[in-house]
Amino acid sequence: MNLFLQQILNGLAIGSLYAIFALGYTLVFSILRVINFTHGALFALGAYATYLLTGSAVNPSGVLASLFSAFFGKPALPLALPFLVSLVLGACVAGLAGMLVERIAFKPLRDRGADPLLALVSSLGVSIVLVNLMQYLVGTEIYPFPDTVLGNLPRAINFGVPGKPVPVRTVQIVMFVVSMILVVLLTYFINATKTGKALRAVAEDTTTAYLLGINTDRLILLTFFLSGFLGGVAGTLVGLSVGINGPYFGIAYGLKGLAVIVLGGLGDIPGAVVGGFALGLAEAFVPAHYVAYKDAVAFALLFIVLLTRPQGLLGRAAVQKV
Amino acid sequence: MSPLLELHNLHVSYGGIQALQSINLAVSAGEVVTLIGANGAGKTTTLRAISRLVQARTGSITYNGRDITRARPDEVVRLGIAQSPEGRRMLARQSVLDNLRLGAYTRRDRAGIEADVAQQFKRFPRLAERRTQLAGTLSGGEQQMLAIARALMSRPRLLLLDEPSLGLAPLVAREIFAIIDELRAAGVTILLVEQNAGLALQHATRGYVLEAGQLTIEGPAQALLNDERVRRAYLG
Repeated sequence: MNLFLQQILNGLAIGSLYAIFALGYTLVFSILRVINFTHGALFALGAYATYLLTGSAVNPSGVLASLFSAFFGKPALPLALPFLVSLVLGACVAGLAGMLVERIAFKPLRDRGADPLLALVSSLGVSIVLVNLMQYLVGTEIYPFPDTVLGNLPRAINFGVPGKPVPVRTVQIVMFVVSMILVVLLTYFINATKTGKALRAVAEDTTTAYLLGINTDRLILLTFFLSGFLGGVAGTLVGLSVGINGPYFGIAYGLKGLAVIVLGGLGDIPGAVVGGFALGLAEAFVPAHYVAYKDAVAFALLFIVLLTRPQGLLGRAAVQKV
Repeated sequence: MSPLLELHNLHVSYGGIQALQSINLAVSAGEVVTLIGANGAGKTTTLRAISRLVQARTGSITYNGRDITRARPDEVVRLGIAQSPEGRRMLARQSVLDNLRLGAYTRRDRAGIEADVAQQFKRFPRLAERRTQLAGTLSGGEQQMLAIARALMSRPRLLLLDEPSLGLAPLVAREIFAIIDELRAAGVTILLVEQNAGLALQHATRGYVLEAGQLTIEGPAQALLNDERVRRAYLG
């Protein structure tokens, strides 16, 4: 019973993370109707940026180590920001990179009236460049966040009663809390603010948005920032939990994120959240000695859902537009 | 006095096909000008060119003494041109109230916006009853009212109306035209595109006839109503 409860809590933590990561895809998809394939790279970028901002050291195999050593006398940035501050700034770095991606991989094609599918390919290209650039800068070694990064917080927190412990790693709780805060903030932003409503207008009908005087280009740029920000937070939280496993580690999460949004029904916030939790919980119940098949579970689940509900768990059946 | 809006020698083409050829059209402040013509003549394209949704190949668009031929669509709205587009283009998944407020997206005066929302609800009582409903659930006539009200929320000096009577029952269409009369009385300048030429000319001050991308006839609305060519081709 205790193990069951523990698995549920773990599933909720990783599920919330999948949710915010998938929301990054959803934001861009709902507006441009195309998947931004750099999302996995931005996930890794955010993690590395946060890592550097906490003042942690870079491995000598990356070019950044010698650069830092030459300028600061040690292979790290000369600062040691608290984790939460680094997290926000690191996610901003990913967000700004997202804006750059929009200007390089998406806008030029959009301005020429190209098929959205082409942007998918160009984003894939930018993604490869980004990953290789990161590899050049920091190498491919795994970067665990130092144990001291969360300050004085205990390693695990007990959710059980004395005698029947249900320990959950503090990292998982940080993951869940940060993710849920972001989901709530994003929901509020989209549904209750003027800019959020304008963003929904662009998503629903770009022509109407133009006619209302909405500068759609600027809102698309904002969307890419938010998307990259969410990706960067997700990358950092995964890095905090299991270490930053090389520049490529975002790619696997990138595919999983795609499974999440398809699972939830493309294109809205509740869909991504439900899809994220569904996947997180399903994975949590993979028995320990089959853990290598975790990813297979994700895609088997996706397969089953698509067979029975092609529109996703929360998706609406396609409505004929007049 | 120079006109509020002036199209000079405007050409628009879509992928090599000429949609508009050397259009010269002017709308002066206070006028209700109607653009009539058959399906596919280029009426909607003309409005889309003014709202800057399509590029002009050559020629110029001048509004209020300012060249807007290369302006961004949102700049045009800021300058005072609003459009109620063909097919209404509701934000179907947002409420009536949110559709109206988004109509005022370019404005910052919160109190003024809310006062204008109240004014639109007074003008269109049926929208007031449905203020929290999603716009997609409104009837065709109600959607048309919302499209016009939403366009008015930006406090335009020039209102572009594209086929406001399309698909509406005759009684509802007459209601919409009564509102156009009201707006004209209130001093709003209107450029009206209509298939229902008779109805449009009865409510306009001046009219243009567009045929296959070219303006062929222009004159006071009353004169067009009595013009033999117009009568034969458009008034049946």
